[in-house]
Amino acid sequence: MLNYWILIGLLAVSTYISRIIGIEIMAGREMNATLRLYFNYVPIGIISALIIKQILVPMDGQLVISFPVLIGCLSTAITIKVLKMFLPSVMIGAILGWLARYCMS
Amino acid sequence: MDEKIVTIRTGFTEALPLAIAIAAYGLSYGVLATQANFSLAGTVAMSLLVFSGSVQMVAVAMLTTGASLTGVLFTSILLNLRNLLYGAALAEGLAPAKNWKWLLAFGVSDEPFVLGVSRFTKYGPDPLYFGTITGTFYAAWTLSSLIGALIGNQIDPQRWGLDLAFPITFIALIIPSLKGKPVIATALTAVVIASGLEYLMPGNEFTIIITGILSPLAGLYLNRRSQNA
Repeated sequence: MLNYWILIGLLAVSTYISRIIGIEIMAGREMNATLRLYFNYVPIGIISALIIKQILVPMDGQLVISFPVLIGCLSTAITIKVLKMFLPSVMIGAILGWLARYCMS
Repeated sequence: MDEKIVTIRTGFTEALPLAIAIAAYGLSYGVLATQANFSLAGTVAMSLLVFSGSVQMVAVAMLTTGASLTGVLFTSILLNLRNLLYGAALAEGLAPAKNWKWLLAFGVSDEPFVLGVSRFTKYGPDPLYFGTITGTFYAAWTLSSLIGALIGNQIDPQRWGLDLAFPITFIALIIPSLKGKPVIATALTAVVIASGLEYLMPGNEFTIIITGILSPLAGLYLNRRSQNA
């Protein structure tokens, strides 16, 4: 159990350091225009990757598409494009995704 | 004063859907940590001190499969590399906070990053907003970890569809920002890279950092090409 507490301490320190380095090194400094543009695009790349990781799920060493997540994502994308309203789009996507899972189970 | 209240209210409202999703994961983490022989205090302490869903989930999952502490630590350092990118992107928006940045830095992770960048792009630097969303997520994560550890494995987040909240919320956040060829190219490249990496190494934990580093290059390329045209 002592080892677990040591691990928790090390994880806390290493995680915090990774957080503060980005903020402290970049804060208040003139950033190269290309680098600034690069960092503007980083969120799009990371969010896209996070979504893909939720849609493509590893199962028994193979990759399978989670259709409930895919249907939820597609319906949310269409809804927010049409309605341009955040919460209703999330709710519609969640309901349709949940219904897809219910129908497929 | 009114402006501050409005900011706090806005932050809380915008964070709430994601906080529910975070709570669902927190429940799962609490259950998993219990299965990995973490004590109740250890489970909650990790959430209080680390406050990182991916690091905590991976840590308990690795320990369950008998991984060494060194292995867990090394993996968490690799996972945390993306925080450097998050911090860099958030730095300007948090700059007015001065010394409070050291506290706000605790919130540099996936969800506060998404909301924070979105807010800073529209309204400029706003540390109070970032503090509000981080506080909301922190409360959701730690409380749900506690509940998860207390109830053990009685709840299945998948059965209740709680796991859908993450990708759906991210979609709702990203779609409105997909304007202009460079941004769309970045997103499409990210989809291709992430899918390819997941296909080659299903469930690997480095897909996000690799995609985050490489996909913006497509956006930069298209941006430069349009400037030279």
